[in-house]
Amino acid sequence: MASSNDSAPAIRASEVGKVYGRKEALSRVSFTIHEGETVAVVGPSGAGKTTLLHLLAGIIRPDSGDINLGGRALAGLTPGGELSRLVGVIHQQLDLVPQLSVLQNVLAGRLGRWGLARSALSLAWPHERETAEKALDRVGLADKLYERTSRLSGGEQQRVAIARLLLQDPQVILADEPVAALDPARAADLMGLLAEIAGHSGKTLVSSLHSIDLVRKHFSRLIGLRNGGQLFDLPSADVTGDMMDRLYDLRGIEGVETFQGRDYG
Amino acid sequence: MDSRRLLTILLAGALAWSLFSVDWDRDLVHPGGFGSLADILAALFSLDLSPSFLKVALSASWTTVAYATAGLTLACAIGLPLGIVASGSLGRGIPARLAGMAAVRLMLALLRSVHELVWAWLLIVAIGLSPMAAVLALAIPYAGILGRIYAEVLNDVPEAPLRALRASGASEVGVLLYGRLPMALPDMLSYTFYRFECAIRSAAIFSFVGVRGLGYELQISLDDLLFEQVWTLLFFLVALVVLVDLWSSSVRRSLTS
Ligand SMILES: Nc1ncnc2c1ncn2[C@@H]1O[C@H](COP(=O)(O)OP(=O)(O)OP(=O)(O)O)[C@@H](O)[C@H]1O
Ligand SMILES: [Mg+2]
Repeated sequence: MASSNDSAPAIRASEVGKVYGRKEALSRVSFTIHEGETVAVVGPSGAGKTTLLHLLAGIIRPDSGDINLGGRALAGLTPGGELSRLVGVIHQQLDLVPQLSVLQNVLAGRLGRWGLARSALSLAWPHERETAEKALDRVGLADKLYERTSRLSGGEQQRVAIARLLLQDPQVILADEPVAALDPARAADLMGLLAEIAGHSGKTLVSSLHSIDLVRKHFSRLIGLRNGGQLFDLPSADVTGDMMDRLYDLRGIEGVETFQGRDYG
Repeated sequence: MDSRRLLTILLAGALAWSLFSVDWDRDLVHPGGFGSLADILAALFSLDLSPSFLKVALSASWTTVAYATAGLTLACAIGLPLGIVASGSLGRGIPARLAGMAAVRLMLALLRSVHELVWAWLLIVAIGLSPMAAVLALAIPYAGILGRIYAEVLNDVPEAPLRALRASGASEVGVLLYGRLPMALPDMLSYTFYRFECAIRSAAIFSFVGVRGLGYELQISLDDLLFEQVWTLLFFLVALVVLVDLWSSSVRRSLTS
């Protein structure tokens, strides 16, 4: 567990809760994540993984509790430029702009730093092209610079999203099931790339995922969620198969059908 | 009874009433109309394809296309910014922005609720019979129509890529430039091309207010009952629309493949 305990923790969540209508999506979740840690968030469908990651990214606001990023209250950070330097997000579904070139999708990672004029001009005369080229090279797509993004496969698009994140250059990378849409080989490949990038630049990585093999291989720590509650928070070496079975056990979970339908359908 | 069914019945009633209020015997068919109908059909097989008339038709087509192009270009230039404001994609949830949106939507509605021919009359009265009046008359209602459609298309793009752009720090203008506009562009373009066809038809009938072009020649030929020329001119009009259609589909193909 690479950590610099003397500095402010990268993320601190205390008693965080989120309610949707009458459904408690997340209740009283607390943890501290230090800079450079790699943390996997695991749990069955509906456990609250996406909710937790969106809360950490400032995409949604908690109904109770506080979140601190690098020692600053998330609630006080202005969305846009400031927040985008602290956290970057990769989603399960592809969320690039299909009509733009790969290069422009990657450069969009800079929009939080660029002014209006530069953003507009860059559409015609790409700014910081070498940085984007380097990032694409890093994710193995150096030859696709001018390709239309819609022509890329799902796995390649997820790599472009990672390259965009490299240009955004946040301190914390949040990934919500980033490999769920990929076949096992590509999933392993991409998760490895994400972990390597985080490790290489000492970034904090928090990702939800379902493959326990990938968790063991790339993550130092495991937070188990079930029904919005925190079942465990342990170094991944200490998590036993029995604990994982209990985490994913179908008994005692509401909405079992959606669980089966979504994950194994 | 739900309101949708009530509306259906009301509309059906209005249609029936309108059918009965036409005086079928007197109003509909011009007496002696059938005689000229035969002449018109006969002329279809003896088109006037003489070089001198082809030259007239060609130059009239050119004039019509020029008016349509100028009018539509101006309409795009006015409609795009208005459409962007009307779509509300320049900011999020601020009351002032909502007021601006409502004002622009109202303005777009005003622009397009008056027909281009009526605008032409008004403008010719105001600034005299000039190409400028014709171009403006075309541009004003078309700006209203394009602005409204642009606003809708800009609002209809998938949300996920926009959210991702915001998360990577883009301002709403950045989201517009890197997300909404590129995603909306194919639809906006194909609608604009469709409107170009309509603009050609509109420009052609501007002869009724004294502007030259295909319609002007049509009117002259009709006045002299030269149906051979009328048909030739109509075929030129059809050819223009087909050409625009071919052009638009080739542009769309290059955009989507
Ligand atoms: N916008 C919303 N409105 C209402 N309920 C929601 C909303 N988002 C999430 N929920 C509910 O909150 C609970 C947690 O959802 P969440 O998406 O965080 O689960 P998850 O662990 O990410 O599941 P999955 O593995 O399927 O992605 C679920 O019961 C879900 O139905
Ligand atoms: Mg989820």
